Amino acid sequence: MSTKAAITIHQLSKSYQESGQRHEIFKDLNLQVSVGEFIVLLGRSGSGKSTFLNLVSGIDQPDSGEIIINGIQLTGLSEHDRTLFRRHHIGFVFQAYNLISTLTVGENLLLPLELIKRTSRQERDTVAKLLDQLNLADRFDTYPDRLSGGEQQRVAIARALIHDPDVILADEPTGNLDLDTGQQVLALFDTLVKNAGKTLIMVTHSPEVLGKADRVFSIRNKSLAIARNGVLPGTGAAVEG
Amino acid sequence: MNSVLNRASRNFLWRHPWQLALAIVGIALGVAVVISIDLAMESSLNAFNQAGKAFSGVATHRIIAGDGGLDEKLYRRLRVDEGIQKLSPVVNAYVFMSKQADAGFNLIGIDPFVEKSFQSIWQIRKNKNTSVELLTRLITEPNTALISEQTASRLGLNIEDDLTIDTDHGERRLKIIGLLSPNNAVSEQVLSRLIITDIATAQEVLEMFGRLSSIEVLIDKNQPDAAPAPAYTPSLEISAPAPGRSAAYTPSLEIIRKALPGNALLVEAESQSQAMREMTRAFSINLKALGLLSLLVGMFLIYNTMTFLVMQRRRLIGSLRSIGVTRRQIFKLIIGEALLLAAIGTLIGIVLGIALGQGLLYLISGTINAIYFHIDAASLMITPLQLGKGALLGISATLLAVLPPAFEATRISPVTVLVRSQLESGIRRLIKAANLISGVFILGGMALALLSGKSIVLGLASIFLLLFGFAMMTPAMTLMFMKLIERVFGRLSGILVRLPARMVSAEISRTGIAIAALMIAVSATIGMDLMIGSFRQTVADWVQTSLRADLYVSLPGEKMPDARAEQDQRLKAKLTELRDVKMLSSVLHTNTAIVKEGVSAGAAAENDFTKVAVFELNEKSRPGFIFKHKTDNKLWDRFEQQQTVIVTEPYAYHHGVKIGDKIRLQTDHGSEPFEIIGIYADYSGDQGHLAMSRRNYRHYWPDLGYSGIGVYAKDGVDLQQLENQINKLLTGQQSVKSDQAIYKASMEVFEQTFTITETLRWLSAAIAFVGVFSALMALQFERTRQLGILRAIGITSGQLAVLITGETALMGLVAGLIAVPVGYVVAYMLIFVIYQRSFGWTMAFHFNPGVIYQGLALALIAATLAGILPALKMAQTKPAEALRSE
Repeated sequence: MSTKAAITIHQLSKSYQESGQRHEIFKDLNLQVSVGEFIVLLGRSGSGKSTFLNLVSGIDQPDSGEIIINGIQLTGLSEHDRTLFRRHHIGFVFQAYNLISTLTVGENLLLPLELIKRTSRQERDTVAKLLDQLNLADRFDTYPDRLSGGEQQRVAIARALIHDPDVILADEPTGNLDLDTGQQVLALFDTLVKNAGKTLIMVTHSPEVLGKADRVFSIRNKSLAIARNGVLPGTGAAVEG
Repeated sequence: MNSVLNRASRNFLWRHPWQLALAIVGIALGVAVVISIDLAMESSLNAFNQAGKAFSGVATHRIIAGDGGLDEKLYRRLRVDEGIQKLSPVVNAYVFMSKQADAGFNLIGIDPFVEKSFQSIWQIRKNKNTSVELLTRLITEPNTALISEQTASRLGLNIEDDLTIDTDHGERRLKIIGLLSPNNAVSEQVLSRLIITDIATAQEVLEMFGRLSSIEVLIDKNQPDAAPAPAYTPSLEISAPAPGRSAAYTPSLEIIRKALPGNALLVEAESQSQAMREMTRAFSINLKALGLLSLLVGMFLIYNTMTFLVMQRRRLIGSLRSIGVTRRQIFKLIIGEALLLAAIGTLIGIVLGIALGQGLLYLISGTINAIYFHIDAASLMITPLQLGKGALLGISATLLAVLPPAFEATRISPVTVLVRSQLESGIRRLIKAANLISGVFILGGMALALLSGKSIVLGLASIFLLLFGFAMMTPAMTLMFMKLIERVFGRLSGILVRLPARMVSAEISRTGIAIAALMIAVSATIGMDLMIGSFRQTVADWVQTSLRADLYVSLPGEKMPDARAEQDQRLKAKLTELRDVKMLSSVLHTNTAIVKEGVSAGAAAENDFTKVAVFELNEKSRPGFIFKHKTDNKLWDRFEQQQTVIVTEPYAYHHGVKIGDKIRLQTDHGSEPFEIIGIYADYSGDQGHLAMSRRNYRHYWPDLGYSGIGVYAKDGVDLQQLENQINKLLTGQQSVKSDQAIYKASMEVFEQTFTITETLRWLSAAIAFVGVFSALMALQFERTRQLGILRAIGITSGQLAVLITGETALMGLVAGLIAVPVGYVVAYMLIFVIYQRSFGWTMAFHFNPGVIYQGLALALIAATLAGILPALKMAQTKPAEALRSE
C-alpha cells in the first residue's frame, strides 16, 4: 500500500428532495484514502452507504465539496467527463450485480474493455483467463440470468476488475451470497488489493471482511465515524470528522 | 379491499403518465378515424337525401325520366284527366354562382301552390315570409327566386337584389323577392344550397321549356285503391278536383303507370336514396375498411400498452397475489383499468372524430361528386347512433386487445416474481404458437379470398386475416433478422454495435408488437401505393388509348329532343365544313330504362335506368376501345348494323352479363332486346354503361343531340388555330379541348378521387407511429435500470442515445423489410379482389421499385423519429436515478 492519496474527499455534502422535504445525507464529510488501501463502510439501511459510493464513482453529484481521485477533481468535471473518468479509473461492483442481461458473461466483461478501446483478440484471452480464475471458464457464452447468484456476483466483480481500474467500489458484494461463495469473493478482493495495489472501498456487514480491512468507517450523523482504525504504517492518515 | 386494490392500480397508472396518455391517444385515434369516416360518409349521403326532401318532402313515389326529362303535359294529364291531386312537379338542376365556381346551388322550380301535405322543406319553413302575396309574386313575376336568410347574408344579398348564376346555357339573373327562414338545423343546411323559383322560371333559366325533371307523388299506402281516403287540407289549392272524384281520391299506382310514356318510370321515393347508397356501397365499405385498419393498428397499440402495464407490475401483482388477491380480482383490476382507459380514449376519440369528420366530409363529397352523383359538401350531421357505434367499437376493441395481457396478469405467480428471461422464454414459446396460428390465418385469408365470390366485405376480411397472419409472424421474423444482423456485423464489430440488435431480440415481447403494428401500417401504405400506382398507370394508358381525336368539343347540359338537339346538329354540320377538319366522331351520354327479366316493361319500380353511350365512330376512333377479349373485324359491322350493344367491364361485372347475352331496353316502341357483342375497358365510372351505335339508337329513340364531338384534323394542321376556329362556333357552356388537356383533366380527377384514400392511409400510419413511439417509450422506461448500469460502467449519454436510436432504427428496418412483401400481397389483393369486386375494374399490376424504397424509408424514419425522444430522455436521466429505479 502506497502512502500517496488515491482519494481525497473534502467538505462533501449531499441531500435529496423527497415529498417536498429535504433529506440531508452527508454534511461536510472529509476522508482521505491512500493508494492500495482497503476501506470498509458500515451503516444502517438508508444511512447513505450506496450514495457515498455513487458520489465517489461520479455516478452522482454532491451538493457541495470536493472529490479528488488520482489528482483529478471529480466534482469539477462535466457529466460526460465523469463518465469517461469512470470507464478508465473505476470498477464498480453493485449489490444487485447489475449485469447487462442482453449480453453474455463474456460480452459483459468485454464491454468495459471495448469502452477504453481495448478491442484486440488478446482481450478475449484476458477475459477468459479472469473467468477461469473465478471458476467461470465455461460460462463465457452464457447469459447472466442463467447463472446462480454467486456466479453473477463473481461476474460482476470480474467486470469491475477487467479494465484494471485504480479504484474499486463494492456495494455489499457478499450480501446475497452463501458463506462459502462470500469467502471466495472476499479472498479475491484481498488478493487484488494486496497484489495489484488497488484502492478498495467496500460497503459490507460481513464480519469476515471487517478483519481484512485497513480501516472501517461507519456513517453516523451525516458523516463518517471511525469504527476501527487500521494500521497505516508511516502515513498518519486518519479520519477527520 | 377492492378500493385499496384499485388505488394500487391507479397509483401505478398515475406514476406512468406517458404510457397512460399514449394508450389513451391510441384508442382515441382509432375511434376518431372510424367515427369520422362514418360521420362524413353518412353526412354526404344525407346531404343528397335532404336536398331531395327539399322538394319531395314526404312523397312516396317519384316519376322520373331519362335524358330529356318529362313532358309537362304528363303532369296536366295525371292531375286533370286522372284527377290525381297529390302531385308536385319539379324542375331542378345544379347551377353555380357567377365568379364563384365552387359555390354550387340546387335550383329548384316548384309549384308554390301545390298540395301542402308533401311537407317539403320549403313548405315547412317559418311563416313570416310565406305570404300568399310572395308566392303569387314568384309565379307572376318572371325570374324571381327565394333563397335562405343565411345564404343571403353569406352572399351579401338583400330582398330585391339580383343574383347572377351560371347555368349550362350561360349566365342568368334572378331577383330575390323573399328570404326563407329555416326552422331547424337540417332545413338550414338544405336551404343554404337551394334557390327556389316557380316552374316557369326554372324552365326558362335552365332552358327546359315544356319539360319537368320529375313529378313527386304522394300515395297513402294504407288506403285501398279508389277507396275514400280521409280528407286532407289543401294549403293554397287552386285547381279543383276532377269531376266525379272526391278530393280524397287515392290514385292507384297502376293508373299512373299506364299513363307514363316509354322513357318514364314510377319509382318509390326511398328506392332512389337506396340506389344512391347501393351505388356508393363499395366506396363506403372501402373507406370503412381503411377506418378499421386504423382501429386495428390502434388495437396493437392498446395491446402493447396494456401488456407493458401488466409486465411492469409483475412485482406488484405478485405481491398482491401473495397477500391473497385472487386471479379473478387481478383480472377484474386489469379489465377495469382498460375500461377506464377505453372510456376516456373513446370520449376523446369521438370529439376528435367529429373534428376530423368535418375535414373528411369535404374529401368524401369531392370523391362522390367526381365518381357518382352531385352532392353538396354539407356540414357534418351527427347522430347518437353513429357516436354510439363508434363508442361501442372503441370499447370493444380495447377490451379485445386487453384480454391477452389480462390473462397474462392472472398467471403471475404469487411465490416467485418471474425474472425477465423466464418471461422472454415464455414469450418465445408463444411466438412458436403464434407462427402456427399465423399460418392458419394466412391460409384462411387466401382461402376466403378465393371462395368468397363477389363479396367485398369477405374480400376485405381476407386482407385483414392476411395482415393479422403476417403480423403474428413478425416477432419470429424479427428474431431471425436480428440473429442475421448479429452474425453479419458481430464478427466485424464490437459489442456496442451488436447491442441494439441484441436489445431488440432480448425484449421481443415488447419490440415484436411495436414492429408488427408498424409493419401493418407500412404494408398497407405500400399496398395502397402500388394499387394506386397500378390504377393510375392503367387509367393513364386507357385515357391515352381512348383519346383518338385531336380536339374534343364538349356540349354539356340537359339533352332535349327539341330545338336544342337541332342546335347540336347544326354545330356538327359547321364543324364538318371547317377546312382543316378531316372527320368527326360523336358521343351522346344518355339514360334509358332497362327491363329486367320477368318484369314487365315500365310497369315496376324494380326497373331502372342505365347509362348509355351512343357512339358515332370512324376508323380512327374505333381502336380507342380496349376490349377484354379477342375481337375480329366483324364486331364493328355488327355494332353498326345489328341490334347490338357493347358493355363496359364494370357493367358486365355488376350485372353478371357476358357476350351473347341479351339486354332488354325500353324504347319508344316498347321493350327491345339488344345482344351484347363486346366488353370493353372503361374507368370513367364504377357502375358501368352500355354503348350502342347512333344508328341503332336513332332507330328507337328521338334525337337528343350530342354530349361530345371528336374532331380529327387533317395532317399538318395547326391545332391551336383549329381550336380557335371551333371556339368561335361555340356558345354558353360549350367548350373545346385538346386531347392532352382532357388527359390532364382526367388525371386530375383521378388524383382527386384518391385524396381521401391517401388521407386515411396517412392517418393509420400516424397511429402506427404513435404505437411505436408508445412502445419505445415504455420499453425505455422499463429498462431504465439496465441503461443506468451501462451509464455506470462508462457509456456516455451520447453513446446511450445512439444505442437506443440504433435499436429503434433496426426495428423500423425490420418492419419495413417485412412490410415490402406483405405490401405486395395487399396490393395484389386490392387490385385483383377488392377493386374488381367493388368497381368491376381489372387493371394490370404495375411494379414500382420506388414504392419499396418509400415504404422502407417510411418505416425506418417513423421508428427512428419515434425513438429520438425516448433516447434523449434516457440519455438525460442521471445514472444514479436510473440505478435506483425498479
